[in-house]
Amino acid sequence: MNSVISKLGLDRFSGVYLGVILIIVFGFATPEFLTPATFHVIASSQSIAGIIAIALLIPMVAGQYDLSVGTNANLTGLVVVALQGYWGWSLPAALVAGVALGVLIGFVNGFIVVVLKVDSFIATLGVSSILTASVIIVTNSVVPPQPTSAGWKSLTQFEFGGFQIVIVYLIVLALLAWWLLEFTPAGRYLHAIGSNRDAARLAGVRVNRWSWIALVLSGGIAGIGGILYTSLTGPSFTFGATLLLPAFAAVFLGSTQLFPGRFNVWGTLLAIFVLALGVQGLQLLSGVTWLSPMFNGIALIAAVALAVSRGRSRSKGSKQSKEVEPPNEAAERHDSPALTGVS
Amino acid sequence: MSTEEYALDVRSMTKSFAGKAVLQDFDLTIEPGEIHALLGQNGSGKSTFIKALAGYHEPDAGSFVAVGGKDLAFGSPKDSFALGCRFVHQDLALILDMSVLDNMFMSSSFPMRMGVVDKREGRRRAKRALETVGLDLDLDTFVKDLRPAERTGLAVARALLSHNNETPSVLVLDEPTASLPTIEVQALLATVRRTAAAGVGILYVTHHLDEIPNFAQRVSVLRNGRLVGTWKTAEISHRELVEHLIGEALAAEMNTQRDKVDSDLSASPAIVVSGLQAGRLEDFSISVRPGEIVGLYGLTGSGREEILPAIFGSLSADAGTIVVQGKTLEMGRPDAAIRLGIGYMPPDRKTLGGFMSQTARHNMTLLSMKQFFRGGFLRKKPEVAEAARWFERLNVQPQKAEEALLSTFSGGNQQKILLGKWLRIDPKVMLLDEPSQGVDVGAKLEVHKQIALAATNGTAVIIGSSDVEELASLCERVLVLRDGHVAEELTGARVTVKDINTSFHSDINREGLVHA
Repeated sequence: MNSVISKLGLDRFSGVYLGVILIIVFGFATPEFLTPATFHVIASSQSIAGIIAIALLIPMVAGQYDLSVGTNANLTGLVVVALQGYWGWSLPAALVAGVALGVLIGFVNGFIVVVLKVDSFIATLGVSSILTASVIIVTNSVVPPQPTSAGWKSLTQFEFGGFQIVIVYLIVLALLAWWLLEFTPAGRYLHAIGSNRDAARLAGVRVNRWSWIALVLSGGIAGIGGILYTSLTGPSFTFGATLLLPAFAAVFLGSTQLFPGRFNVWGTLLAIFVLALGVQGLQLLSGVTWLSPMFNGIALIAAVALAVSRGRSRSKGSKQSKEVEPPNEAAERHDSPALTGVS
Repeated sequence: MSTEEYALDVRSMTKSFAGKAVLQDFDLTIEPGEIHALLGQNGSGKSTFIKALAGYHEPDAGSFVAVGGKDLAFGSPKDSFALGCRFVHQDLALILDMSVLDNMFMSSSFPMRMGVVDKREGRRRAKRALETVGLDLDLDTFVKDLRPAERTGLAVARALLSHNNETPSVLVLDEPTASLPTIEVQALLATVRRTAAAGVGILYVTHHLDEIPNFAQRVSVLRNGRLVGTWKTAEISHRELVEHLIGEALAAEMNTQRDKVDSDLSASPAIVVSGLQAGRLEDFSISVRPGEIVGLYGLTGSGREEILPAIFGSLSADAGTIVVQGKTLEMGRPDAAIRLGIGYMPPDRKTLGGFMSQTARHNMTLLSMKQFFRGGFLRKKPEVAEAARWFERLNVQPQKAEEALLSTFSGGNQQKILLGKWLRIDPKVMLLDEPSQGVDVGAKLEVHKQIALAATNGTAVIIGSSDVEELASLCERVLVLRDGHVAEELTGARVTVKDINTSFHSDINREGLVHA
């Protein structure tokens, strides 16, 4: 039974199978589902979610949470709009300032985590709240008008082979993150820190420095995501909060896909789109508005539960190797990403 | 005496792992109120016996154990507890930030009355248990404010608490004095005497032979899984005990079999440590030449455990300077130590040494990836080839499993992989903490071979170990540590199992308790 599962890749590729099943089921259930429009909507709307998920993924690999990615995106997007609308900044200047703001937020997160030694979960939760307040301070509670310049709109609002350009941005960012995490020494260091912080330090990895860098990258990428979102759908006060949960669900669910037990880029993106297929299909069927948060909440819990049980079953498998030593020695300590991420 | 009258009656207990008996035909009896000392080197089968008694190991068929006259069902911690077996381990499992009272009821839970915790009844019982062991502690004191012997006493008192107000039959104390300062030991021994006087049979496991006279009534010695003998304490000398403990013949044989290559005495030192202070360690200095293997011996609490992490920088030192081939090392910085050519294998490979959720290859190459990083990408092919080379060189089993997770290997093979990780970068100084702990015999030999080979190639090696035979077979020089100081330095022909043990137990001669 187990060998059948692994042959078909039901464990590593369960997301792919689920995606196919969702498409078939919803395709039969509602004629509106299997249309190009559905896929274009999912592609463009989920590209931003994917970018935020990648922002979150990088510190998660190193065992650091970044709960501020959503509000960071929100604030950055609004500031870029405000700089152009209220202060008359040129588009390039506003874009540079926006990315710099995202990076700065990441830097502050890193400072709180590394220098003040506050747990990243608490640190970024606090920063997230501060950013929510900053949104109101910066805008004076008035949504700034969408800049009218052609450049601002064409940043995101032109099509590329039928799809919005943002999916190309997502793919470029994903390739960069993939390269960083899987093909550079830096990526190895981040994975090592996430896998066993103490052992990483004893192997000469500068744990603090790399944790800080991961949070800075996260802040910068979240900022870019925020700018793109605002250009695509217009400024709003609340979009940031809605991006955080799907990102978390995708990162955890992604760690059970393709390379199980390892937070990885393509697993994360696969998860983002499969989750979106589910939400979109159910939305078409039922038309209720509470579906997305409900679905994402359940998906997050299910993803973490799955990652934990995966770690457990892997530890069972290891016991089959021949052990000459007493069983208590063989009792392995298994750190599934879901668990180490929390520590 | 018949079985009914013994607090503990063990007959022909055998326990095998993977077909290999680690405990064979072991017999032991303890009378109520008796203090019975159990001696044995690491790996002699002591811990296996204790774990079997506690129900964590299931002994082989044919073994028989009775506790207070009742047959013990094997493999059930619950039954072991119900029949009245209690255990106090070296790690006392006390919570320092909680009160004496709360610690007392941590495992057995507070008495309840009408659905709420009955504090008054709890205080009464706690007080009575403490009185049994002769301790008068304020129940509201935090454990962190207690003296070390009082903490052990508290753990003993907690073990004596029972649900049905019956006195437990047997109390096993596993090296309770290992980390106690000398001055505290007498206080603890008094506590144990009081406990025995209450009718409890006590199995007292220790490395300190000097504690036994005038304390235990009988003493048993385990060696290589077999009982060497049981004697009345008054009828056996210290020297006889040491010989039984380490096996005179074996020790002599081992010494002649060693073929250690002496390092070049004229070479300038690879590493010079001076005035190192950390934790219990006081003013430690050492200088090691390239190719030399130096051993550090000492029990928990002797300061031995602090030395290697403090040199490497994973433990922050209070004072001291370290010079590696003329360059002063920045203290407390493992990355700086590695840059100067120092490697360190920590004692606990699961929590400190390795990345269990990563592949063997990733574990092996983490320290240096430069050679695989070409044109902005880590190249997989040369990296896998490198890992494969080390797999072959270290004879890692299963072969060609470079892409398997580290957690899937056996302890010995994990240790080989982690040793390979360091040998790969060709360190000038290699620090090894308990390099063969929890490792099977074959892997231990392989690890020793690789350490010797590294030394031959010019690496200065320092090994910290509680395994005397390991040190005797590998080292050119052994420092014996006691109470935070180097008690003696053994060189040349004196680096033998016997001399290390004699040196270690020599405080007894000094105090003249038993004539050797």
